[in-house]
Amino acid sequence: MRSYPSSLSRRSLLGLGAAAVASTALTACGGAAPGESGGGSASLRLLTPIFDRADGQELLASLLEDFKKDNPGVSVQVDHTEYGKLNEKLTTSIVGGQPYDVMLMGVGWVPPFAEKGVLADLGATEAELARMYNPRVIQPGIYDGKVYARPILLDTRMGIYRKDILAEAGIEAPPQDLTELREMAKELTIRRNGELIRAGVDILSNDLRQTYLPVMWAHGADLFDGGNPVFDSDEAVDALQWMVDIIRTDKIEDYGFTQQGAVAAPLVQGRAAMMVGHNDMWRQISESAPELIAEDKVAGFMLNQQRPALFQGGTLATMSAETSHPEQAKKLVEFLSGEKVSPLAAEQRGNIPAVLSAADSPYVQNNKLVSFAVDNLDHAFSEGGVPTWLEIREEFKPALENALLGDATPAEALNGLARKAETIIAEGP
Amino acid sequence: MLAPSVIHLVWWIGIPVAATFVLAFTDYDILAGTVEFNGLDNFREIFSDETWNASIWHTVVFTFFTVPVAMAIAVVLAVLLNVKMRAAVWYRTAVFMPHVTATVAIALVWMWMFEPRLGVVNTMLGWVGIDGPTWLADPDWALTAVIIVSIWKGIGIKMLIYLAALQAMPEDVYEAARIDGASQIQQFFAITLPLLKPATFFVLVVSIIDSFQAFDQLYVLTPDGGPGNSTTVMTYEIYRTAFKEFNMGAACAQSVVLFAFLLVLMLISRRLTGKEEDVR
Amino acid sequence: MSAEKLLQGDTDRGTRPANRIPLARLLRRTALHLVLATVSLAMVLPFLWMIITSLKTDPDLASYPPNLLPQVWDWDNYSEALEYAPFGTYFKNSLLISFGHTAFNLVLASTAGYALARVPFRGRTLVFMVVLATMMIPTYTKIVPQYLIAKGIPFFGGNDYLGQGGHGWLDSWWGLIVPGALTPFAIFLFRQFYLSLPRELEEAARIDGMGEFGIYARVMTPLVKPAIATVGLLTFESSWNNFLWPLIITSDTNLRVIQVGLSTFQQADQNAWAYLMAGTTLATIPMVVLFLFTQRYFVQGFARSGIK
Repeated sequence: MRSYPSSLSRRSLLGLGAAAVASTALTACGGAAPGESGGGSASLRLLTPIFDRADGQELLASLLEDFKKDNPGVSVQVDHTEYGKLNEKLTTSIVGGQPYDVMLMGVGWVPPFAEKGVLADLGATEAELARMYNPRVIQPGIYDGKVYARPILLDTRMGIYRKDILAEAGIEAPPQDLTELREMAKELTIRRNGELIRAGVDILSNDLRQTYLPVMWAHGADLFDGGNPVFDSDEAVDALQWMVDIIRTDKIEDYGFTQQGAVAAPLVQGRAAMMVGHNDMWRQISESAPELIAEDKVAGFMLNQQRPALFQGGTLATMSAETSHPEQAKKLVEFLSGEKVSPLAAEQRGNIPAVLSAADSPYVQNNKLVSFAVDNLDHAFSEGGVPTWLEIREEFKPALENALLGDATPAEALNGLARKAETIIAEGP
Repeated sequence: MLAPSVIHLVWWIGIPVAATFVLAFTDYDILAGTVEFNGLDNFREIFSDETWNASIWHTVVFTFFTVPVAMAIAVVLAVLLNVKMRAAVWYRTAVFMPHVTATVAIALVWMWMFEPRLGVVNTMLGWVGIDGPTWLADPDWALTAVIIVSIWKGIGIKMLIYLAALQAMPEDVYEAARIDGASQIQQFFAITLPLLKPATFFVLVVSIIDSFQAFDQLYVLTPDGGPGNSTTVMTYEIYRTAFKEFNMGAACAQSVVLFAFLLVLMLISRRLTGKEEDVR
Repeated sequence: MSAEKLLQGDTDRGTRPANRIPLARLLRRTALHLVLATVSLAMVLPFLWMIITSLKTDPDLASYPPNLLPQVWDWDNYSEALEYAPFGTYFKNSLLISFGHTAFNLVLASTAGYALARVPFRGRTLVFMVVLATMMIPTYTKIVPQYLIAKGIPFFGGNDYLGQGGHGWLDSWWGLIVPGALTPFAIFLFRQFYLSLPRELEEAARIDGMGEFGIYARVMTPLVKPAIATVGLLTFESSWNNFLWPLIITSDTNLRVIQVGLSTFQQADQNAWAYLMAGTTLATIPMVVLFLFTQRYFVQGFARSGIK
């Protein structure tokens, strides 16, 4: 099938080297990881994108002391990384045949990693987990009916509004549904000589896909049905049309008015009355405009149309299928996703604890966006579900942008997206 | 004398490069750890992807504008700054500054400067009566914005290399030219530029390679390929294929395509700048 | 302002009588300074903004319309930023790695560059082309094989003679320093500089009975000081700013570098702006100092009067 042209003979030496590398990769993957197996003593390697910054590192170190007390003989080596470089760390460690025993990762990672045999079945049942976590929160950790990951903390996207700005316009309650939201936003938008001074609603501060998805779920649409993309359904098209109307028809917000990662979100500056945003907005506001919190001017509301919907992402604990200490690694996974660690990890990141027992903690109660999310977890939806999700999700942003920029109709954009997804699914992970 | 370097180079770069070429013809599943030869499938796959094809075009446009402009500014600055004057030290430092700062933070500052309403760039355009675009949010302008930042960042290193090359310039040639009554500008084109040929060849090749592999500033300024994928470049697509989609085989195939482009460009550069061995 | 005037501004010192056309000369000088100062300002503007930002409080940063100068000059940002991560260790590690890379690269790349430029041997052009070619594959494809090589170094980190069983150079100074110790870029640069030296020099040395290494070390290399300064500076700088490789091959916080520290200011959801700017400003200072120090190798100008 494949032969070297004779002119390439000079390179054959290099080719040999490459083959050696490739075979190293193969044998290394099958090879045993170092260290003794069984028994009580073990040295576990943990990879974490959370517990970042010096305070997070200290917190994790002190928590792990507790873990060691309960599990004498077990030590944990922590590798701190960040979400932006998590894939590089995971990939190299897996290829190198030295996967971490315990890996913390995001929602989208679980299906592909489980499918490839990287993750171990944790041997838990949904019913068992449902005693500790909200049933919606468990879902991202389940693949093919088995539990591969346990949740530690969650992050959500929801509607957030400025009570003072709404009150000024004589509006007493946040919008009940997206139709009302749009009407309200039209009224709250201020333009001077055509220049946008205040957007009625800001849908551009947040990652575009993570803004679209809760709107889509609220419209009653879903991402996949039986492993096939259905995000080009009529409901999904309506959802994107709703966003396009805000930008293009009603001119409630201009494309380029703000962007993800801007120094401050327009809502904080009073340049937007409402937004679709991350619960982390609370921390941001408490740092940049603490008076808004002191005077109770910020609150969350549900994105609702056919049904209320909250976008839920999160960080989950998983165990490597290759670990030589499955017993101890599983204990560490349970510890990290347990009632003690979960609330502290969430607090350190300004996110939502996965465990039910933290609902009444002072941290949750004092952070109004976090407690709003906790109260509404029954309406939480997670993205993903197919092993190729990490690949498919990359295609969302350009497609949504094309619609918002008017280069494609919502139906065209989503149809194109669904066809691409079908191709990706057919090719397999 | 060459041996230690060759061993090091073959070991740490040669083998990875060779591996890239081999893996380009395989279905390398990095998570499952399986490698299977699949002939030209990867190439068929990547060239049927519009985003990849668009990224080739963006890379070419990006390089076409970034490299010559930065080089021209750099060579003029190097000649102007190749003097003994007290202030030159500070001018040079200023020009070199963009190169030494970690790209991420400084790219974030540029993001601010490109802010459509109150950013420095549009404010200054406003002074001369131009209503600036929304830059990074506008598919028609985002690549231009990134090119501006890249030129700004690339001038320093090029100037430095030209400056170093100018140190080796023999004065006697200039003296002869002056006696012949050549103007400064004539001297620049008749003497300086030809004598800078080896340096120019170097700067050109290195800049093209750098420009084809530009990543950080694009990643920060226009995350995820920019508005409507208008700034996605080959390196970003390679990164995305390898580490967001875990499709290492296809990423290697993309790298081979990038390599082929660079090889052709390098040969053209060699032609353009002449056989530098003949200079002296 | 014509380019001609600009170009005339520089090289005429000392060659014409200083007081021949004093007014025109003064004008030219002023114009030159004006242009250079404008260019310099454009180059440093983002840094000024970075420093100003590093001194703002969070509410100040979020205020709209933005304030040009800080309302309160918050110098505490600097000390607080340093508490975000163990910057003392990171700084030390970065310094050590940068020095290591620079020293190795200067020795290895200059010998290789010399050989490629001045030692005739069969296949020289081919070797040179291969050196160039190694620069043409992007980092992201090379990094996995490089990781595997570092892991498979025999006899290190519990590895056997086949490089199996242990972790090789992962999590070690070897792994941090050796793989990046030689850059094709530096070989290429040295080659170009050695190439531009006149043949007579070499011939004279040979007549004096000097060996190849002697010519390299005692005759040729002292003449490419600007190249040494350039390679030294650029190697140090790129090593100082390297982020991905040190992060990938270490898992121990004690072996991490300054850029990894800076990355903790950028979180998935929101950047710690003031801290990021303060940290980056601090990380840039050593590079500027180094540049000012290296300056003196570029100020000779025409003073050395070429090579006779």
